[in-house]
Amino acid sequence: MSDNQFKSQLIQGVGLGLRSSHYQEIFDTKPDVPWFELLSDNYMSEGGLPIHRAEKIRQDYPITLHGVGMSLASADPLNLDYFSRLKTLTQRLQPAYVSDHLAWVSTSGQYTHDLLPFPYTQFTVQHVADRISQVQDILGREILVENPSSYLEFQATDMTEWEFIQGICEKSGCLLLLDINNIYVSAVNHGFDPYEYLQAIPIDRVKEMHLAGYEKMDGYLFDTHGYRVHPPVWDLYQAALMRFGQVPTLIEWDTDVPDFETLRSEARKAEAKMKEVA
Amino acid sequence: MGDQNIDTLDALKSLQDAFYQAIFDAKTATITPTVSTIIATEKLSPAERINIYRGSILGGITTALTNIYPVCVKLVGEEYFTRMVSAYLKKYPSSSADLGRYGEHLPAYIAKFKPAEALPYFSDVAQLELLWHYAFNAAEDTFSDHGLRPLSELQDLTEQQHSMMEFCLNSSVNLCVSSYPVNRIWRVNQDDYQEAFPGEGRVDLNEGGVKLLVWRTADFTMRVDELSDDEYQFIAAFLRGKRFEDILEIPFRQPVSDILQRCIQMGLIVGFNLNP
Repeated sequence: MSDNQFKSQLIQGVGLGLRSSHYQEIFDTKPDVPWFELLSDNYMSEGGLPIHRAEKIRQDYPITLHGVGMSLASADPLNLDYFSRLKTLTQRLQPAYVSDHLAWVSTSGQYTHDLLPFPYTQFTVQHVADRISQVQDILGREILVENPSSYLEFQATDMTEWEFIQGICEKSGCLLLLDINNIYVSAVNHGFDPYEYLQAIPIDRVKEMHLAGYEKMDGYLFDTHGYRVHPPVWDLYQAALMRFGQVPTLIEWDTDVPDFETLRSEARKAEAKMKEVA
Repeated sequence: MGDQNIDTLDALKSLQDAFYQAIFDAKTATITPTVSTIIATEKLSPAERINIYRGSILGGITTALTNIYPVCVKLVGEEYFTRMVSAYLKKYPSSSADLGRYGEHLPAYIAKFKPAEALPYFSDVAQLELLWHYAFNAAEDTFSDHGLRPLSELQDLTEQQHSMMEFCLNSSVNLCVSSYPVNRIWRVNQDDYQEAFPGEGRVDLNEGGVKLLVWRTADFTMRVDELSDDEYQFIAAFLRGKRFEDILEIPFRQPVSDILQRCIQMGLIVGFNLNP
């Protein structure tokens, strides 16, 4: 598929995470959604209905690709097969942004398929920054790196998460996907001030924000992406908009995915907050 | 490891390897090295914090396998399936960044899984579902000047080109053989079947074995078709890479032209290429 068959690659406003249960409604009604985010790991196969549908969506909407497989903080070498397939996907779908998380997924070639924490140290800043640079070279484009939700901290950590993020931005030139829900979840779980976190993030690097709903567990918050955005996260989002401006924002919902209208109503709330800072 | 600084790649690798072990083996001796690396708080102990990740990882992988093997889950129930996946994960760690590629050994694992002996068809149903998953995600067959050509161009070939011509099968095609009517078992466990024929879900295992074709048509429709012995042999020979002229030598019971015609009508033979 050539460039000119796609509409603009630029994204703005509040987008929605594309979920398979909503394809048909989107095809039938062509809703006025500014952009969709696709989970890149769901489109890694060589063919079939998922990638066919993704191309159909892409004909009508700008998209971003968001993944969990880069394993940026792993001690393993980069998985070149994965990046080769991701590159093919980016060439096929031409996303506005490609993003993944500040986490490791694999060790010694064994994959957990989950986003795992690691100590924030001078060594890991350099290690992760080097890998981000390698990934950007392989993909031939800048990537966005997302701050994680986490449930533990390591003894070996000798800097805050925001200092770590400042470090990788400086060393790799990467851009950021700031997940407001993740900041709040980690702030509660580890007892730091989420507003202090926001103030430390370099303004010019934030190109996308995520909003989602956490779940309150016994002794911690869990990032399930299965609920409406909670009030303290909306408050933090408002502060983020004040600092970073009208950065494109995504409503993420991955478990117990509701009907499309529920997602849109969350998006309308975010749009209203965005307009307030205009 | 608790006092160890993470200032080298080896130190990071040791920490991650230990964490991985602690996730997949909850024994105290296994998690102790990782526990000592984690900050303890009043709210949660390090072991409880590891447990959060353990639940998330096992939950994510189980969900992925549930999506590939939904009928297997129906046959044994979610709890049993989850326990089986947990045991399977220890024997077969995931070695691909693509979660969609995980679980390929599950049918063979089930065949040797002692607690599943009471369901002799369980492994074959898993095999059918795995092949369905492969067919669903298979590459499309696209025509190109140097590769696959449409059957309509057959008439334009020269005599010399005819001798180089090889038919090409739809690339999503997979074969499944079972001593049980697994296609019936699979069918009655589909949601739409239960809606259409409520209460009718019995399958007589004495119906006998089946040879099945699991594939996807050009318009993305998924199919499970029962094959005759001849049709099975014909397609199996293609999948083994046999040349068409050699396939013609196989002693089929029915005329090979009839088998070929049915395959073309079904859309199984999508075109041809010219092999020098």
